[in-house]
Amino acid sequence: MRGIVRAMATTLGTFVRGPVTREYPERHRPIPQRDRAFPLLLWDFDTDEPFCTGCHACERACPVECMTVLMKDNPAHTSLGGTSKRRKIIDKFWIDYARCMRCNICVEVCNFDAIAMNNTWSGHEISVYDRADLVMDLPQLLAQHKAGAIDEWVAP
Amino acid sequence: MNGEIFGFEINIWLDALARLGLAVGLMTVAAMALIYLERKVIARFQQRLGPTRTGPAGILQSPADALKLLGKEDLRPKNADPWVFELAPYFVFVPIFLVFVAIPFAFGWQIRILELGLLYVLAVSSINIVGWVMAGWGSDNRYAMLGALRAAAQGISYELPLVIALVAVAMVVSLPGDVRGSLNLGEIVTEQGHIPYIVWQPLAFVIFYVAMLAELNRTPFDIPVGESEVVGGPFVEYSGIRWSMFFLGEYTALLLLSLLGAAVFLGGWAWPLGETVAEQNEILGVLYQFGLTAAKTGFLIFTVFWVRATMPRMRVDQLMAFSWKVLLPLSFAQILANGLVLVYGWPDVLLLLASGAGLVLLAVIIDRAVKRPAERPGRPSGALEGEAAT
Repeated sequence: MRGIVRAMATTLGTFVRGPVTREYPERHRPIPQRDRAFPLLLWDFDTDEPFCTGCHACERACPVECMTVLMKDNPAHTSLGGTSKRRKIIDKFWIDYARCMRCNICVEVCNFDAIAMNNTWSGHEISVYDRADLVMDLPQLLAQHKAGAIDEWVAP
Repeated sequence: MNGEIFGFEINIWLDALARLGLAVGLMTVAAMALIYLERKVIARFQQRLGPTRTGPAGILQSPADALKLLGKEDLRPKNADPWVFELAPYFVFVPIFLVFVAIPFAFGWQIRILELGLLYVLAVSSINIVGWVMAGWGSDNRYAMLGALRAAAQGISYELPLVIALVAVAMVVSLPGDVRGSLNLGEIVTEQGHIPYIVWQPLAFVIFYVAMLAELNRTPFDIPVGESEVVGGPFVEYSGIRWSMFFLGEYTALLLLSLLGAAVFLGGWAWPLGETVAEQNEILGVLYQFGLTAAKTGFLIFTVFWVRATMPRMRVDQLMAFSWKVLLPLSFAQILANGLVLVYGWPDVLLLLASGAGLVLLAVIIDRAVKRPAERPGRPSGALEGEAAT
């Protein structure tokens, strides 16, 4: 008899506590700052150009070879009449998100803190119909930080 | 011949049609709402959300299901008995629908006020066992047949305590003029204006509630429809509209027996202050009385869902033993005690004392049964020796 009463009390307890379901696509819970989605490039707002100098450090360190980096002379360098202190700057940059394994090594080797892991929901919800659409080029990689939508976090 | 409905005089056939339409419409809507509510409540008990996709909070789930069932093919197995198979859903559905006629919702708000309302309700509602057996027999499927036999055994066994528990209340109803006993549901409710009968007859209420669960084939008495044992019971072979008629019948029966329990034991629309409010303001009174009935019925239905979310299914032998060895003798004892009190004109408190003592006895019996170690049939010793030899 006591068992029956306790069982009823238990189920009533679960009834009162309410559902634990997370309605994921409708409601996004905040995700932690150190969440690690795919890498993207950061924008230097002081000189209005990317931090990245195209030094190939990340490309060489990448264990899955998902990056392609091309460097060029910076047309905005002070010697050419510009305001930037960067002699070289990134020309083209591709990251194949389909191949990236989100190991964070590119962020760790970067000498200029120019690359960071996306820590927003938009870094996770990037499913596409064609695998080729997952190869991001330079404007796409820069766009999110340029728009101020990234709370950047680089490992100290 | 003219009938009267809502104060308008109309032709008696139109009157009957209007009452029928009211009952059928109410029943269908109520059953769909109950299916939705059950899914939501059970989900909440299991810390889920239940249906959320169809409409706000999934409220259109039941209409969507109903549409889907209407659109499905109405299959009949090749070997099934066409007449019995096709008619079975009606035998489940129609009696329950007929019972609605006598149920009181508020003062004077019955489809028909019957002098022998309780008798009528009990007599008509037990017909639906025939429908279950027809479904099982007509399907020509051994699981359906097993389920139907279980349904028949269970339905008949629990019908008796159910009826006797209600009779126990019907005999102590005190009418004006020092008359005891009434089968008129309206009168039974009216007399509970001050104290509902659950106070005088707690044992009868508990017996009624348990027997109600069994009559409705709800957990823990859902052996006729147990999926793991008889793959859905008598309606394995049904699909589409006929299958949905079984479910409509089942949920309406749940609503109906809860209404009956609310009316007979919990004071229906009369307790508390049902009549006082009606004297102050007629419209407000009717609304208040409807609210009381709905709240009590809703509470009973909620407890049914609650029990379903808690209890495992009983075994067949436990089920039969509980009905014949426990509930039936106790309900007889209840009417015997009531009879003695009435014949000798003892005070009503004795009703409460006798019934309370019976309730304690029931609790003790259940407690002993739960604690007793399970008896399992042993294997024949010869087989065991044979195994050892090889």
